[in-house]
Amino acid sequence: MRLENGIAIKASQLSQSFRRADGQLVDALSSVNFEVLKGQFVCLIGPSGCGKTTLLQIIAGLLLPSSGILEVGNQVVTRPSPERGMVFQKDSVFPWMRVINNVEYGLACRGVGSGERRAIAEHYLERVGLAHVARAWPRELSGGMLKRVAVATVFANGASVLLLDEPFGALDYVTKRHLHNVLLTLWAETGRNKPRTVLFVTHDVDEALILADRILVFHTGRIVDDLALVAPRPRTTDTLLMPQMVQNKHLLLAHLGLETKQAGTGATSSIVRAAND
Amino acid sequence: MGRKSRRRGILRIDPVGIFGVFLLIMIWQALTLALPPSSLPTPSSVVARIGRDFIRAEELSFYGLADTGLLNSMIYTATNVMIAVALGSLVGTIAGFVTARFHNVRAILDPIVMTMGTIPILVLAPFFLIWFGVERMSAVLLVVLYVAVILYIFAQRAADNLDPVYEEYAYTLGASSKRIVWDILIPGTVPQVLGGIRIALAGAWGLEAIAELLGAQYGIGKIIQVLAGATDVQGIFAALIVLGLVAVISDGLAALVFAHVAAWSAAARPGGN
Repeated sequence: MRLENGIAIKASQLSQSFRRADGQLVDALSSVNFEVLKGQFVCLIGPSGCGKTTLLQIIAGLLLPSSGILEVGNQVVTRPSPERGMVFQKDSVFPWMRVINNVEYGLACRGVGSGERRAIAEHYLERVGLAHVARAWPRELSGGMLKRVAVATVFANGASVLLLDEPFGALDYVTKRHLHNVLLTLWAETGRNKPRTVLFVTHDVDEALILADRILVFHTGRIVDDLALVAPRPRTTDTLLMPQMVQNKHLLLAHLGLETKQAGTGATSSIVRAAND
Repeated sequence: MGRKSRRRGILRIDPVGIFGVFLLIMIWQALTLALPPSSLPTPSSVVARIGRDFIRAEELSFYGLADTGLLNSMIYTATNVMIAVALGSLVGTIAGFVTARFHNVRAILDPIVMTMGTIPILVLAPFFLIWFGVERMSAVLLVVLYVAVILYIFAQRAADNLDPVYEEYAYTLGASSKRIVWDILIPGTVPQVLGGIRIALAGAWGLEAIAELLGAQYGIGKIIQVLAGATDVQGIFAALIVLGLVAVISDGLAALVFAHVAAWSAAARPGGN
């Protein structure tokens, strides 16, 4: 079975269940179906334990699904590949390699010559604003800088699918906003030569609205909503105030249980609700 | 910024430490006033004895140790310690890594290794002397055993504690299984394994000396055994001080080398472990 042109990721009846320590079987994903277009920036949002991270691990090839098929490109995913780069929630930058060696590690694994990979690594370090710490040890860097290193590494490695698992969750607001810009800039720049499909897991509604072309909402292992965001880029504070964005925000907040859903319309609004009271 | 101060720290000699040594010598000197030289020789006489026995010790030839001195005995002992620590560390570390990954192997090896580690050297030494003779082999293997047990535990724990996220990350970057071992497992556990080697090295000097005491032809332990038979307290002190100095210097050198090899780790700071 070959994927149609233009489709980067396809999940068919994807299910994953775990046996908890107490012996109970828990469904992390139940019969999930979706397709992601090449070059699309997709945010996965949902409450904790809704299966977002599990899905990312399956796409990365770090976990085999209990049932169903996941295809990336034209192939069924069975193991990790440098075509699917991942930025983990935890700090995964290798503390025993200098920053520059971290960024070029994937290229070294694939046998890229030392001069060429050094040039590529230096380019991406410069793009994320870390050229000055190329020779530093990771422990000398702040949390935000480590995330920049991880982002530079996946881009340097040339993956066509980028999987980001709450990458900026632990960062302060300012650092997070800077990293959004870094990520979007690199995504747009490198996308001109080769489309980069991004799957970005987050809890943060504003983050999803700033970043995504499309938002998939997860709840208890299922996709419960699929929103397309057509707002132009680059998105600013004003973009988030556009009526459709505000409406999407209310919808997402309702999905996360932070606002109540309005019967009938499916849309929600705390303002409307306040007026009704 | 922390890096510069650490560089200076390696070569710095702690004045409090020097004061401690000075204090010990003072107490020693004071005690000699109360005790006869046959029980406790003065510090200066022991230093003089080290000088006299350094290349060739006349007294030792009376007890069947012809043409030997503190220097070449110390070299013999040090060589054995180095061979034993190198061999034991290699065997113990590999076994520790393997058992961290393969739970069946661990289930088999853990009880055996833990039991071996608890056997007192005085119980084990006679068996080794019977099996391997009174040559170098016996003492070396005895020390290898204890070093391997220590490194087995340290390497296993280090591999257990290494966050699996590094391995997963490496796989997503395109690393092969072989690369995972060389680029992730080994460097990621280096600080703890080197810490284990340092502890094993410190203990190895004592174990080697005991092994030589119990049965050997050469070495500092052999000298101590012979002089103990002649109740030559001054000679024993001289041998012990040479052994102690070499042990302290080797530990300092090991610390320097390890601080360099594991420079990335916060634990590599001198005095940090």
